[in-house]
Amino acid sequence: MSELAALTLAEIAAAIRARKASSVEVTQALLARIASWQPELNAFVRVDPEGALAAAAAADATLANGAAKGALHGVPVAHKDMFYVAGKLAECGSKLRKGFVPSATSTVVARLDQAGTIRLGALHMSEFAYGPTGHNVHLGPARNPWDPTRITGGSSSGSGAAVAARLIYAALGSDTGGSIRLPAHFCGITGLKPTSGRVSRANAMPLSFSLDSVGPLARTAEDCSLILAAIAGPDPLDATTADAPAWGTTARPLSDLSIGIPSAFYIEDLDADVAATFDNTIATLRALGAKLVPVTLPDQTAINAAALIVLAVEATSAHAPWLRTRPGDYGPQVLARLQNGLAYSAVEYLEALRWRGPALATHLASIGTIDAIIAPVANSAAPTIEATDVGAGAGAELAIQKITRFMRLANYLGLPSLVVPAGYSSGNLPIGIQLIGRPFGDEILIALGEAFQTETNHHRRTPPRM
Amino acid sequence: MSGEVTSERVAVIATAARIPLDTDSSARVARAVTPAIAQFAAADVSIDFEVEPSTFAAIARADIGR
Repeated sequence: MSELAALTLAEIAAAIRARKASSVEVTQALLARIASWQPELNAFVRVDPEGALAAAAAADATLANGAAKGALHGVPVAHKDMFYVAGKLAECGSKLRKGFVPSATSTVVARLDQAGTIRLGALHMSEFAYGPTGHNVHLGPARNPWDPTRITGGSSSGSGAAVAARLIYAALGSDTGGSIRLPAHFCGITGLKPTSGRVSRANAMPLSFSLDSVGPLARTAEDCSLILAAIAGPDPLDATTADAPAWGTTARPLSDLSIGIPSAFYIEDLDADVAATFDNTIATLRALGAKLVPVTLPDQTAINAAALIVLAVEATSAHAPWLRTRPGDYGPQVLARLQNGLAYSAVEYLEALRWRGPALATHLASIGTIDAIIAPVANSAAPTIEATDVGAGAGAELAIQKITRFMRLANYLGLPSLVVPAGYSSGNLPIGIQLIGRPFGDEILIALGEAFQTETNHHRRTPPRM
Repeated sequence: MSGEVTSERVAVIATAARIPLDTDSSARVARAVTPAIAQFAAADVSIDFEVEPSTFAAIARADIGR
């Protein structure tokens, strides 16, 4: 691997700014890696070498004149194929949006453009972001850089694979039921699902308007912080961001922070590798000075059920016009899941939606002054693509829910959650651990992640052969 | 709230939504969603009369700077 590709987002941004590396050099290095690895990983749906190199040359020229556009000047990135850019394709992993060219640019991409990033192309995703594994009947599956027979996780499948394979430094993903955190876990990278309302979703493809979050996948917590600093904050185009606090990463000493260890649910049915990683992470955080305390959370089964009801109904509502006119253009599993949203009554949906406030209040009361909850992301490292190809049969929904069972608390209660690489399985597959924060406590999670990554090297390991 | 979901119920809602759904699919949907509906029904959650969806955002923002 080239030395440039091995750097983190923070390191490459500093190198370009200091003119130790040019944006063109960096872009060429990544394009070469993409050309080598795309046939195996299927991480990109489109690559734009000419556009990226032209943008990189312009970035270098601007910098030569002494003007940096922003904190990420000249840094190549790529995003899940659901963030609209005016005049560019955004096909959302689907047949239904094949050829779709939006007329407006998503706020998050516009803000990253302002920060100086350049785009290499668009990344693979589960069809309409409605799948946790990275399967896609239209595009074929994205493949895990650690073992191409394994899933990447989804729905931000290309984001996970491309960052892990060092094809890009960072990517945007979306997270409605784990779609940032599952790829981070399965691919061995860092991912942040921000607090609901912290990051604008304007002109990004919706799945569930109550549960959707937009956030970064990158190599380190520091890198995620750099992306968040660029994209977070109020946006007139997304009313849920009104009054969100400004992003700030003021560090707090770990000795001031307390982390809750759940006494149930999140510690059940873990395989031995995940259980050992969970215990080791607790020990590391304790050694760093954080206070680790047991916590009894409210009934997570009810929260998972409520989240599934809200997700199913809102997704089906958004897709209703196509379900009426073009149902045959969905993949079988996505069609089946969208049809599931027809089962709920309006009263059931609204009770599940209205309960979010009381459920959040109960959660906060249960954790007291605790700053974060530590939890596994999934009960195992990446399973195989074949074993998780569950199709659209009667058991598919339960199989999907098994993969996402530790995910839904953060989505339903709108909480931030950071996944950091924390260990490896006996088969050398990465294992992540999530830290679930308080509302708008994203910075505390970043501080915890940075401290953990100062002490450990899991985030520095690269997939074999790369 | 009942935890039981029947294919007839699914078919009625699909018809009301003007979304085509064949009989086999209605039966599959009923089986797929029954666990979530049953679990939420069993939780018998308590929601105050005055609570609306936006109450959630108010509670989240009240925790800022805790």
